Amino acid sequence: MMIPNRKEYLKALANSGQKIMGVLPALYPRELLWAFDIHAAEIWDPPGEILHANAHLQTTICPIVKRSLEFILKEPDIINAGYLFPHTCDSLQNLGTQVKDLIGVSLPVYTFYNPKGSFNNTTTRYYRDILQNFQLSMEAVYGPLAPDKFLAACVLSHKIDSHLMAIQQARMTDHLSLNNAEYFKLMRAQEYLLPTDYLSLLEQVDILDQPGESPRARMMVSGILPPTPEILEFLDELGVSIVADDLLAGSRRIPKFPMDAPVSPLDYLTDRFFILPPCSTRGGDLDERLHHLSKHMNASQAQGILFDIVKFCEPELFDHRLLVKTLRGKNYPVLTLETELENHISGQDKTRIEAFTELLFEMVSP
Amino acid sequence: MADLYFAGVDVGSLSTDVSIIDHSGKLLSETVIPTGVNGSEAAEVAFDSAIKLADLSREVITAITATGYGRASVAFATGKTTEISCHGVGAHQLFPKTGTVIDIGGQDSKVIQIDSHGRMLDFTMNDKCAAGTGRFLEVMANRLELDLDELSSPLNIEGESAPISSTCTVFAESEVISLLAKHTPREHIVHGLQRSIVNRIWSMVASIGIEGEVTLTGGVAHNRGLVVLLEEKLGLTLNIPENPQTVGALGGAHIARRAYQSSLELGPN
Amino acid sequence: MSIRAEIKYKIMKDYGAPALMALQDFKRRKPRPIPEAFGPPLDSNKRLKEILSRHYFLSRYARGVNKVAWVTSGAPVELLRAFDFYTIYPENHSALVGAKKQGADYCSIAEGSGFSQDLCSYARIDLGHMLSGKTPAGKLPKPDLLFCSNNICQTVLYWYKAIAHELNIPLIHFDAPFVTTEQTEADINYMAQQLQDMIPILERVSGRVFYLDVFENILKRSMETSRTWGAILDAMKAQPAPMTIFDAFGHLAPIVSLRGLPVAQDYYHILMEEVDTRVTQGIGAISDERYRLIWDNIAIWYKVRFLATFFAERKMNFVTATYTNAWAETTGYLNVKDPWNSMAKTYGQIILNNNLKHRLELMKKMIKTYSVDGMVMHSTRSCKPYSVGQFDLRKAITTDLDLPAVILDADIADERVWSEQQIHTRLEAFCETLEGSKHG
Repeated sequence: MMIPNRKEYLKALANSGQKIMGVLPALYPRELLWAFDIHAAEIWDPPGEILHANAHLQTTICPIVKRSLEFILKEPDIINAGYLFPHTCDSLQNLGTQVKDLIGVSLPVYTFYNPKGSFNNTTTRYYRDILQNFQLSMEAVYGPLAPDKFLAACVLSHKIDSHLMAIQQARMTDHLSLNNAEYFKLMRAQEYLLPTDYLSLLEQVDILDQPGESPRARMMVSGILPPTPEILEFLDELGVSIVADDLLAGSRRIPKFPMDAPVSPLDYLTDRFFILPPCSTRGGDLDERLHHLSKHMNASQAQGILFDIVKFCEPELFDHRLLVKTLRGKNYPVLTLETELENHISGQDKTRIEAFTELLFEMVSP
Repeated sequence: MADLYFAGVDVGSLSTDVSIIDHSGKLLSETVIPTGVNGSEAAEVAFDSAIKLADLSREVITAITATGYGRASVAFATGKTTEISCHGVGAHQLFPKTGTVIDIGGQDSKVIQIDSHGRMLDFTMNDKCAAGTGRFLEVMANRLELDLDELSSPLNIEGESAPISSTCTVFAESEVISLLAKHTPREHIVHGLQRSIVNRIWSMVASIGIEGEVTLTGGVAHNRGLVVLLEEKLGLTLNIPENPQTVGALGGAHIARRAYQSSLELGPN
Repeated sequence: MSIRAEIKYKIMKDYGAPALMALQDFKRRKPRPIPEAFGPPLDSNKRLKEILSRHYFLSRYARGVNKVAWVTSGAPVELLRAFDFYTIYPENHSALVGAKKQGADYCSIAEGSGFSQDLCSYARIDLGHMLSGKTPAGKLPKPDLLFCSNNICQTVLYWYKAIAHELNIPLIHFDAPFVTTEQTEADINYMAQQLQDMIPILERVSGRVFYLDVFENILKRSMETSRTWGAILDAMKAQPAPMTIFDAFGHLAPIVSLRGLPVAQDYYHILMEEVDTRVTQGIGAISDERYRLIWDNIAIWYKVRFLATFFAERKMNFVTATYTNAWAETTGYLNVKDPWNSMAKTYGQIILNNNLKHRLELMKKMIKTYSVDGMVMHSTRSCKPYSVGQFDLRKAITTDLDLPAVILDADIADERVWSEQQIHTRLEAFCETLEGSKHG
């Protein structure tokens, strides 16, 4: 299963005349962009050295924000339609206005607010309103939206969700023969592949009829992004499998349960938003978060959990304390790593990971 | 079992330690040498030295566990285990009722929770910065123009110790400079520094929780003044090994022994 | 409500509180020596201390009489006042702890319990208080309700969520969408509807019924109080300014935490009168005002006295600030005849919830109208909405207005975040620039 390289893929796409919008983390109505033939290229952790961003941001700002700004400042050719800043946290909120109003870029800058309340009449009405407002702002540039294209985009999204749910389930029960590195490469491909290409990729994933070999140890991971490829490879070497995840770039962007096929796009997108798993960035209730974690740990028989926290990430850090306390109270081994999103594991972190796996190997399985 | 011997080799960033035990778990010899620039070489030298001390030869050593920062470079090891597991097992060997191990090393500090067999249950490490480690004391000793022994004695000072509020070693050093400029008595500063380390350790312990007896390992355990303050803060008496620095190597040797015994029980394969 | 509690509260209100004020007054008989660089201190300081002490003091007896709510500084508290909630502002409490240089102590308690040191120090202090019960304010009542709004930052939501879980009490969050360019109709409808949705829960928790006319009166009082506060800040346009922003940091406590109550309204009349008199008589906050400065961001609570003295000695006075202005800037949108929509406009457009173009324009306007010669920006570790973008704001202002500016890296309430050398070097360099510039 060949997954194209991100940089090359997007370059080819841009060269072919495809409109590409650079989208910051995390949640946004991508179906609406697709309906306007705009491709969403997500910007989470662009690699490379941070130089220019430091002139605009203090040292205590998270690496997602820093790396994203570094990327934007380069004025990359692959982004041609503009930047979209969904509302996720204070730092990203301010980065949006900093880029738009103070630093300035040659492309349009859009924002999209994500309401912080749970499902009720007021929040759903608001979400529909802002979807329509976003549609209007796109129409102002690209002309009227074709309703059938909007519906088609939702249908495509629905298909992708269904496949992702099945793959996720398969992973939990060892019906997937991908290792950690391969699995998360697959998950992260949705950040840059055209949705039709991504769907084709997902359709090729082999879900086994019988469970495959059980890994030496089973672990769950929670955080914003999956661990870096280096860490994933290291875990593969040690024989530890990440069997379930609670990641914003992973299972937190997939609905908690299957939805009916879309009929009305606005209804579909609104419903979908409110049945996403709880997330620290949207003020997710702590009991709900614990319930969600427990459910996945049980379904996947994970023995322990790794919190891979992006440095300075406030929403995650506030929730982290209670989640860890509760899980430890239930005698689940917990490991917390802090990441600056560099593809390099320090000796110290290697030791921590190894020590944690030594712990898991010693455990009598439940 | 015939006469079988096991070794643990702990290649740390400052020192390389080796412990050799026999099949009954009896300690035969221990060596400690500076690691220098070549961990692999230091491991060889320390190992040979320990063998000589125990009046043995390399061939009779059945299994060797390498641990510590430089464990990957110990070519002759038969197994590798992190120093966290090793310190847990080592502390358990010396003080069987240990439930919590506090290791304050030269460059990092850790708190490890172990079960009644010395197996690791949970751990936390402070290895991102020097505050709360032996290095912190070294830097400060230098700044105060004292040697480490002088930083070690329990202090009975009059009045309050000078509080050092910085969490960072570099900034704490600046604070010490300012205090010296204001003619603060050196004992007050030393006391403040010891307090500062104790507070760092305490927050690590608080995050894991105290279970059973608490054993203190690592070179800093020789610092009597710090031990007294730490016991005060924790509200209990600490187990201090005779050789606090070699606990990791000792644990490694026991892990080698256990692994060998398990492999016998499991039979060939 | 228990009769005993009510009686106790009344006794404390009528006798206990005044006795406490008298005692504090007695203790204060010997005045602290005022450095020469300062002008005469404000007489109103005394009254300010009284009303704040009284509020904290009576809070201990409030339980059983009124329900207690912990509230964020930007929350639409007028709605809570309609239900007679006794309000405590953890941010105000944390600032108090910070000012007493006890921030690190409280933070350590939270950190020991598992909260990261990288989190906002107001939150860590409050969590440290919640976990230990410690407080310099004698004794704080446990809340029955938490009331927050993310119009100052998203962090309050995460923070209050943690408290709600720990204490197992309801949390009401007023979600205020960030203003990218202008508030949209959708934004206003959303906020207005949320406020109305809150009424049944507030009735249930407080045991009181909502009366629109009571609410309208509270709104009126709040508007008037904010206007007076705005007028007091306006008076600092005078040269010399009758007050310093460091004074204002203290005097903003009532508009933040007692807004909507008669005591705050009355207090600002007193302060306004005194400030007006000083303007008329040309009495300045510092004895020789040569340079006028603007302060950006929240105060460095543990260094207020140090900074006030440092600048006063160099004949520099802070005459305006974005922070103190926040509780006056958007009052004009309030309209008693259209309470819900107007509250949405007022609370949704608070400076920290508004885009940086707006902030830059506001700062430029303040610099012009207050005849400002230089700017000091506090870049605080704890507050992302205030600090992210400061580097570019500074650049825009120094370039467009040719104004000297300096950034100080510190924190709001955690005194460990302070590098003596760095701060001194930057301050001295700034002063040299200022004194040598065309403004000098």
